[in-house]
Amino acid sequence: MRSSDRIKAAINFEPADRLPVIAQVFAHTALIAGKTIQEYVSSGRQLAECQLKALERYGCDAIFAVMDVNIETEALGSQLVYRLNDYPYVESYAFTGNTNLETLSTPDPSTAGRMPEILKALGIMRREVGDEVLVVGCVLGPMTLATQLVGMETALYLAIDDPDSFEKLLDFTTRVIIRFGAAQIEAGAHLPLVFDPSASMAVIPASFFREFELPRLNQIMNAFQSAGASAGWLHVAGPITPVLPVLGQTGANIFNFDYCVDPDEVLSIESQLCFNGNIKSLDFEIGEPEDIFNESVRLRDLFSARGGFVLSSGCEIPPGSKPENVEAMVAAARSGR
Amino acid sequence: MNGDQALSIAETRKLRNAGAGIEQIVVEGIGKAMEQLDGKCTVEQFNLLEIMLVGRAAMGAVKELFPLGAPGIPARATVIVCSLEGDVHDIGKNILKMILTAKGYKVIDCGKDCHVDKLVEAAGQHGADAICISGLITTVIPQVKTVKELAGKRGLGNVRILAGGAALKQATAEDLRVDFVADTAFDGARFLESAVETRTV
Repeated sequence: MRSSDRIKAAINFEPADRLPVIAQVFAHTALIAGKTIQEYVSSGRQLAECQLKALERYGCDAIFAVMDVNIETEALGSQLVYRLNDYPYVESYAFTGNTNLETLSTPDPSTAGRMPEILKALGIMRREVGDEVLVVGCVLGPMTLATQLVGMETALYLAIDDPDSFEKLLDFTTRVIIRFGAAQIEAGAHLPLVFDPSASMAVIPASFFREFELPRLNQIMNAFQSAGASAGWLHVAGPITPVLPVLGQTGANIFNFDYCVDPDEVLSIESQLCFNGNIKSLDFEIGEPEDIFNESVRLRDLFSARGGFVLSSGCEIPPGSKPENVEAMVAAARSGR
Repeated sequence: MNGDQALSIAETRKLRNAGAGIEQIVVEGIGKAMEQLDGKCTVEQFNLLEIMLVGRAAMGAVKELFPLGAPGIPARATVIVCSLEGDVHDIGKNILKMILTAKGYKVIDCGKDCHVDKLVEAAGQHGADAICISGLITTVIPQVKTVKELAGKRGLGNVRILAGGAALKQATAEDLRVDFVADTAFDGARFLESAVETRTV
């Protein structure tokens, strides 16, 4: 069975030859390939090579064209600090709370910042693996991109002090995300993962998520489906239990839940969503293979009756993780049905 | 408690004009509001937005009471807060600073991108009781692990080391070689109240 079909089967709650498994490895793939993180986040070709080497080593069911969380904000003018062996970070944000967004156009993914490098990586990866393995792009969610454009504190205060401007900011980020995601699909992605950690209930109340974020996520998922995405995939980090029952309304088919969400809570809700998760990310760095294997088997067994499950970590596997820990997770998925 | 900064400042002014003492406003007004927020913000119901709004309202009241930035009442303890070199942003540190300031601590902010050396030096210079490190990404962990040992070498073995933030709270105190790992800013404040003020740990 092809890896992409295995994931499709999980999404459709259909039987498969084994449990699908994905490793959200980004800069980690650079370190195990002997490259620097700076090389990985600067070049689509290097990224593709690192991801393909990681695929060869780990044999997971998906690969990712993910550099870091600053692609969109850099394309819109934020200044980044690049580091040799760590992810870049924003030194100065593109916008203030007062920026007039109505006259601003969305960045062209074929020319803006590192967006073309992401498209290049996707093209190389898709040509290499075809439909055998799921090729995943990535966009930020509307809330997360808003915080990346003006800064977290400014964005949150703006939401309360000037809700109209905040909504305009979210509408703008939604337009940016749709354009970038559609370009990724055209370049070769089976789908772009919507990465939205700032929409977590660690950051905003559940009511805020339902009112501001959910309709825009739905707009994004619908746009990606129209652009040819094979499925809608959403990640919101942290404690999201209060919105578990409404996640299906985003239009996503698969949802990545973090380590702090109790799998029993996930199992207790009526949902047609496929879930992936939720091994604690840091355990890949500081834990032992035996612990990762046991936790993987526990999750596999917990979800075996329900189906609709892909084994993975709850969030990114940190760059400095031990490769044998990733191998232990894959081994657990392969060890049973 | 509803995070209305303008209302919080107006109420503080009203209380002062009515003859209420500064200490009374801090303890019975701001302190009580912080206690209520602490109760509300369990690990399951913790969100930055509400905390930041209440924190901003409390800071507005504190600034109204101490316009020159010098509290007229003794601080409960002196605490260093920082984000370490290379971290992506310092929102967790800023929230902790607001909460501890509103609770009556003297807070020394070493900023973001702080080198461990500078952090320990500041602890010595200000006679700090505790160092609080907020970490959003896992790559700062090697730096966190060195703080306690470095403090010990500089004769600051009594200074309590606390860690918190999205990345660091996934680890144990033993993993990070610190005294306490806080789930939330309030969790950290509770540890400070028990360990630093009473010196029971």
